[in-house]
Amino acid sequence: MDKKYGVYICEGCGIGEALDIEKLCDVPKEDSFPVKTCPILCSQEGVELLKKDIADEGVNTLVLAACSRRVLYDVFRFDGCIVDRVNLREQVIWSHPRSTYPAPTEEQKDDEEFIDHVQMMAEDYLKMGMARVQRVDLPEPYKLETFNRKILVIGGGITGISAAIEAAKTGYEVTIVEKESALGGQAKKWRKQLPGAYPYDSLILPTVEDKIEELQNYSTITVMTETVVARIAGEPGDFTVTFKKPGEKTEFDVPYPLPDEMKVDENGKELDAEALHAKFMEYNKGKQDILTFDPNGEKFGAVILAAGWRPYEPKEGEFAHLGFGEIADVVTNYQVEGIAAGGKITRPSDGKEAKSVVFIQSPGQADDKDFAYSGAVTSLVALKQAKYVREDYSDGKAYVFYQHMRTVGLTENFYKNIQQDQGIFLTKGAVTSVSKNGDGLIVEAEHTLLGEKIQVKADLVVLATGMVPVTKDDPVVNLAYRQGPGFRDNEIFDEYADSNFICFPYETQRTGIYAAGSIRRSMTVEESIEDATGAALKAIQCLESVNRGVSVHPRSGDMTIPDFFFQRCTQCKRCTEECPFGAIDDDEKGTPKPNPARCRRCGTCMGCCPERIINFVDYSIDSVASMIKAIGVPSEDDYDEPPLRILGLVCENDAYPALDIVGLNRLTYSAQVRFVPVRCLGSVNVVWIKDAMAKGLDGVFLLGCKHGDDYQCHFVKGSELADIRVKKIGDALASLALEEERVAQFQVAIDEYDKIPQIIDDFVASIEEMGPNPFKGF
Amino acid sequence: MADTYLIEPDLDFIKEVGALGGEDLKKCYQCATCSVACAISPDTKPFPRKEMIAASWGLKDRLVGNSDIWLCHNCGDCSTRCPREAKPGDVLAAVREYAISAYARPKALARALRDPKKLPILVAIPVVLFLVIGTITGLLDFTPDLSEGIKHYKFFSTWLVDMHMVAAAIFMIAVFAMGLKRFLGDIHQNALQEGKTDKEKIEVVGFFVALLKVIPTILKHNKFSDCTENKEREIAHMLTIFGFIGLFIVTSIVFVFIWGSYLLPSGPIHGPWSMWNPIKWLANASGIALIGGTVWLIINRRSKKDQKSGYWDWYLIYLAFGLGVSGMGTELTRIAGWAFICYLLYFIHLVFVFCMIAYLPFSKLAHLVYRTVAMAYNEYAGRNF
Repeated sequence: MDKKYGVYICEGCGIGEALDIEKLCDVPKEDSFPVKTCPILCSQEGVELLKKDIADEGVNTLVLAACSRRVLYDVFRFDGCIVDRVNLREQVIWSHPRSTYPAPTEEQKDDEEFIDHVQMMAEDYLKMGMARVQRVDLPEPYKLETFNRKILVIGGGITGISAAIEAAKTGYEVTIVEKESALGGQAKKWRKQLPGAYPYDSLILPTVEDKIEELQNYSTITVMTETVVARIAGEPGDFTVTFKKPGEKTEFDVPYPLPDEMKVDENGKELDAEALHAKFMEYNKGKQDILTFDPNGEKFGAVILAAGWRPYEPKEGEFAHLGFGEIADVVTNYQVEGIAAGGKITRPSDGKEAKSVVFIQSPGQADDKDFAYSGAVTSLVALKQAKYVREDYSDGKAYVFYQHMRTVGLTENFYKNIQQDQGIFLTKGAVTSVSKNGDGLIVEAEHTLLGEKIQVKADLVVLATGMVPVTKDDPVVNLAYRQGPGFRDNEIFDEYADSNFICFPYETQRTGIYAAGSIRRSMTVEESIEDATGAALKAIQCLESVNRGVSVHPRSGDMTIPDFFFQRCTQCKRCTEECPFGAIDDDEKGTPKPNPARCRRCGTCMGCCPERIINFVDYSIDSVASMIKAIGVPSEDDYDEPPLRILGLVCENDAYPALDIVGLNRLTYSAQVRFVPVRCLGSVNVVWIKDAMAKGLDGVFLLGCKHGDDYQCHFVKGSELADIRVKKIGDALASLALEEERVAQFQVAIDEYDKIPQIIDDFVASIEEMGPNPFKGF
Repeated sequence: MADTYLIEPDLDFIKEVGALGGEDLKKCYQCATCSVACAISPDTKPFPRKEMIAASWGLKDRLVGNSDIWLCHNCGDCSTRCPREAKPGDVLAAVREYAISAYARPKALARALRDPKKLPILVAIPVVLFLVIGTITGLLDFTPDLSEGIKHYKFFSTWLVDMHMVAAAIFMIAVFAMGLKRFLGDIHQNALQEGKTDKEKIEVVGFFVALLKVIPTILKHNKFSDCTENKEREIAHMLTIFGFIGLFIVTSIVFVFIWGSYLLPSGPIHGPWSMWNPIKWLANASGIALIGGTVWLIINRRSKKDQKSGYWDWYLIYLAFGLGVSGMGTELTRIAGWAFICYLLYFIHLVFVFCMIAYLPFSKLAHLVYRTVAMAYNEYAGRNF
């Protein structure tokens, strides 16, 4: 596009008082950018001025030097125009008040040695904004050749049925695949169900049959029983799905990636791309490569994974102290539910009435942990089954020994109601043993509410084993992706299909695949139904974004996609491997094949590419590098004691807003730092750091989200990958005789704004100690 | 303590304590707010938290023979502060009622005292006894001589009165003696088990010294005054109890005087006594205290909606009130000269007195004995109560 520039400087919110606006105007003037000032740019006159220039003057590339890009974004949105927001308010004048950094007095104005930090900072940011707009362009939407808006639901339990109904209600076509011969799943196997409506205090009859009946009313829902997914290939809006009977073997069964030890030759040398592919095809003999699409496959636009759970199966001897496996009358909650569904609760050993039943919620011994995969649901199930004992026998007694009684939200009412049953006895306590006692059992527990070691006679003992997500055993979704058929890194979520538990429910690490129900965490029927609704909405959001060529999440509405300059690709496969979302598949030669609809636009590929051939139109290696180059680096030629210049590459998701909050709270930090926002620390290419150091900047730090098992990275892996890259760059710096401590990475959460000034000032102080970059001035 | 305790919940006990006013006991989630709120609970092994879990688990043996249920004065501070509205105060009251019945023999009589339907039978016992024995022996004269004014002994012979009352008192003492023997054994056993005492055995002398020590505490109502929720009860209860004590003293003096006067050559001297006699003053003052105290107690109980008041409570209060009113009525109608009403009231008064004495170990009034013994035991055991 032919760019017509316009720089607009706002004087409101104290900018006009703190800065020498006239001097600031010289910056664009020097580069012959037209510049205008406005007392309040977001006022009606201000916006009119901008609109008028766009309409009359044909201005289409605007640099707005005012407040943070995180505020008034709707006011300053002009379709068809490139807009850059230079953050003079939060990042300059609010966090560097004139009380700390005084403006020059009349005499000082002519003093060459006087350093006006705030003015310099404003000028730098304005230059950076101007540099950026010269290097970016407007994006065009990525449109799929064929777009399909059908939703595939994997799993025909209560979650899958509910998700299908919710999606169908809004007019979408849905197909449910269920591996069993009938719909209903686990929810069909129970005597009673936990309360689902006000006052949430009593058990109800199972509701799954009603849901199945409701499903019949929708002609847009197709049900395929005794069917599983062999593979899902393609991208959101255009998935090609192959179905098969359970256990069947087909050529479109999903291939598995090579294990690491097979990726090297006998000498331990890494195989080249073509050899690797040959080995991969041999390893997956009888299966088609992921890039070969099933011509008979069915097309879908989005997938809801509602494959649910299976009961935990204790390993042999795992709960020997509780008699499990040894004593027939020690069973799991799942087994006792089966007994209860068939009639009165009886003992498996001799079929006699079980009138005294002990429910054990935690295996005890070393710590107070509950059984694996248990949680609020297992607590509620113990209460439910205790009630069965009382329903069956008027003189029945049910004991619940727990370390944690988790009855969240309104289920507290159910707990209260059960607690008041005269024959149900609840206590915190560690069960130490279950042993035979004549005809029955004796359960021993310590640290109970009764204040001592106690024994209870029991006819039946029930262990509260947990609900294991089926993704623990099998990928289920069987994605024909180069990175593999399942979700990555699910081991940090105990194999639950999840990507970031708190912030982004339903999201998996694969765009267009949304998890719901007990595959995500153990849930009651009520929670599963609610969860199914959420996932259905996410699937719809996905379809309604992909069809417009924009990103779904978390950069919702982003129209850019990574652009590969293939001529210079060295087939290193790094982008395929590092993409947190498996958006890139490579072909038999190792050339990346991007799947733009799978992409979340984090830029991790751009950050990792050693050839720097991956860019976005409005965010590229060049655009950031030019911003860095625009930073003024004063040297000893300019001042006797030149100030330092330190670059901060700041994650847009949490760190940048946290910096805004720093300004909002008028907290101050060193004026020697310049920030460049990045989409994610994962998108930081080390070339930027090298550029900065070569230009004479004294230090670089990355400010982003927490990584590790409790990561807060919006793109899962970004800050972790950046950490690895930063560590590696240390060696490169050392070879230049630069201290590796000049580059650092810090983790902040959005609510830790109060810690940021200290982090920055400490880093600046450490650089001051090292002294200026020796390359300065070259 | 280190021993393992085999738990066998008694479902009937839970049900019964529930029926006696402790129906919310299962709501307890053992936060121990009650034990903290209680101003009179000991620092070590404080009640009522442990009593609440024992009750909700149906551990009868840990409650009935537990002296701590008697240390509670049922002020309701715990119930007011209970976050789950489990009403520990009411639960302990219910357990006490259960315990009184458990220690009283014969069981049938204990059950009858808790059943409003049995009230007519209980009242009929003294009525029939008085009428039958009085008629057979001729000690009950339905046409008494009114020439010297109204003289109660002429209608209802002193012989007839004391023949019944002394028998009732002996019965009462015997029932208490049997109950207390088991009670003391049980509370000591419980204290050993729960680690509330370091005394191996109960020594008679030491125990009596402890008993003497607690009596002033009881009379002064020190424990009542520690309560905050139910403070107005203190004076009402004090009036009632001192009314009773006064009347007991008067009755004892009269008893000795009348039977002593049989030794006089001039023959026995019967009432009524002069209004100027200091004994009469004490009698009247005590009667007024009893009526005033019980009325006050009734008003308090009626106005306190958050505290349970059952037949068990009302039986005792109304009996005490009836006792006072009928006694005072007898005196006033005598002065007024309303012979028929006066004699009728006198008869009713004696029925009440009989009920009070004979049924004492079975009624709520037994707390007089159990609480005193429990407090004495606690003093003896060395707990900082």
